[in-house]
Amino acid sequence: MTEQRLVLQNCGRVDPANIDSWLAAGGFAALDRARAEHTPEEVIAWLKASGLRGRGGAGFPTGLKWELTSKSAGPERYVICNADEGEVGTFKDRYILERDPFTLIEAIAIACYAIGARRAFIYLRDEYRDLLPHLRNAIVAAHSSYPLGCEIQIREAAGAYVCGEESGLMESIEGRRGEPRFRPPFPPSSGLWAKPTVIQNVETLMNVPAIIRNGPEWFAGIGTAQSKGTKVFSVSGDVAQSCVCEVPMGTPLREVVEGIAGAHDIKMVQVGGASGRVVPSARLDTPLAYEGVLGAGAITVYGEGRDTIEIGLRTLEFFAEECCGKCSPCRQGCEALVGILERLAQSRARASDLSLLRDIADNMMLASLCGLGQAAPNFVVDTLQAFGDEYLARVLA
Amino acid sequence: MPAVTLNGVQVEASQGTTILDLARQHGVWIPTLCYHPELSLNGSCRLCVVEVRGSRTLVGACHTPVAPNMVITTDSPAVLKSRRLTVELLLASHSGNCWSCDKANLCELRHIAVELDVGPLPITLRKPFRTLEALGAHVVRDPTKCVLCRRCVRACREIKGAGLLAIAYRGFSCKVIIGQDDADGDAACESCDVCVGVCPVGALSKRADRFVPKTGQPLVVAG
Repeated sequence: MTEQRLVLQNCGRVDPANIDSWLAAGGFAALDRARAEHTPEEVIAWLKASGLRGRGGAGFPTGLKWELTSKSAGPERYVICNADEGEVGTFKDRYILERDPFTLIEAIAIACYAIGARRAFIYLRDEYRDLLPHLRNAIVAAHSSYPLGCEIQIREAAGAYVCGEESGLMESIEGRRGEPRFRPPFPPSSGLWAKPTVIQNVETLMNVPAIIRNGPEWFAGIGTAQSKGTKVFSVSGDVAQSCVCEVPMGTPLREVVEGIAGAHDIKMVQVGGASGRVVPSARLDTPLAYEGVLGAGAITVYGEGRDTIEIGLRTLEFFAEECCGKCSPCRQGCEALVGILERLAQSRARASDLSLLRDIADNMMLASLCGLGQAAPNFVVDTLQAFGDEYLARVLA
Repeated sequence: MPAVTLNGVQVEASQGTTILDLARQHGVWIPTLCYHPELSLNGSCRLCVVEVRGSRTLVGACHTPVAPNMVITTDSPAVLKSRRLTVELLLASHSGNCWSCDKANLCELRHIAVELDVGPLPITLRKPFRTLEALGAHVVRDPTKCVLCRRCVRACREIKGAGLLAIAYRGFSCKVIIGQDDADGDAACESCDVCVGVCPVGALSKRADRFVPKTGQPLVVAG
């Protein structure tokens, strides 16, 4: 049991409906300190020194992102908090939004101060619309009890998985069809309404106040060489206890799934949701870190007896449904992969199907426009390697 | 003037040039489908992918500006394999009636398929059944031939200034629509045929041009 609560430290300890309880627990101390003791450049330097990297899956260094944005020309800049937690099997951002909205608001205000933005948006997943009044109240309460220095607005998503992808998200906020853009330009130079934009996952931002309060050396002391701090996971699937937990970076996957969630007789674990990598039971000691496996924070456990092909088919059906249809490798590839997996599931696949499966998957990973298409075949690619026999057994002789 | 390496040769590029422009300046062929010089960039067909050293994925040549010391390979085995497979995937759900298609030898998709040596398709995909649709009085649309390059959508907005065409639905069900995709959705369309001129395949045609013999170089199809 190696839980360490840094991001989740206030969850369950403060009343999310009453800002006074949060203020009593030291709320706005970090924002105070950032403004009183540090220039925006120093805040960014602290973040760079802390080694904090994005928690949405890509792991881009947060301080560098803020620095690039603050150095981009133009008076108008934006901060976006990505609360479109759409990855299959993640519910940790929801846990944070429900239990500690004020720290998130404080973090957004610090981000605005650091990069010189006056407007910030929280892009809230459509399925979380029941949290809307709760979050609105939290923003109003924060505004009335402290000068935030920025205006924070909530933008409601419309239910598309691909809008969790940052450029698709920005298209959606701008009122267009939720489809990823080609890059470059990247958001730090041209993001929302083509203005410099910092876009961060909920969990990434939640780390910022703690770094300002305790200093970058403290944060850099937690975790591994390339992965600093902690990571929050939502663990589900064939486990004794589905849960949200927070562990230091570098914790072996086994400790989370067996120790904390109480899983046993594991066949494989998918780390990072439907688009995540697959870790077979023989490699459960892989560290949860950028240098090991990480993803956006979903850990899905599959027990012995689960059918790899069936999971693969359902995963690809999900991506075929959520694919926006913009780029050809993903639009046509998802459909083709579903067809092949259907034939495999019905044990009537042709011998050529397996090489085709691999070729189409490779092409999606290499040529797709956005992360959805590039990550959609992950499950199939990883299980072809680890459980190739199961695929072969379904091919017609 | 950034110096870059294009297929092993050091070349000079002017600031802001895309990889595609640079390649064309040096006589290097890169296939494109969604790209059109008169239209905004889209980056959706992924046929212009090239290898750039240090990049995890292939990058789209039409929308990626050259950067100093970039090492670009436009014809590596990985690039050719990717382009070929993407064309095969597009053809797999394409109507496939090339022998009776009015676009005949002017079809850009056929040209690209021939250049890339695409033979019999290894992939089977659903071929969606869709009926012919009218765009005003003079233009006919065959959605089963559409490759979703979106040139028509951009031309209608950017050249005609009407913005009547749009993409609707998601994923494999994506379709170019006019209006609300209903029977009189094209009521506002003047049949100006700007979209017909930019369509790379036979999805858009003028009624007057249908079933009229075409002139042009015969195309030898490989495979």
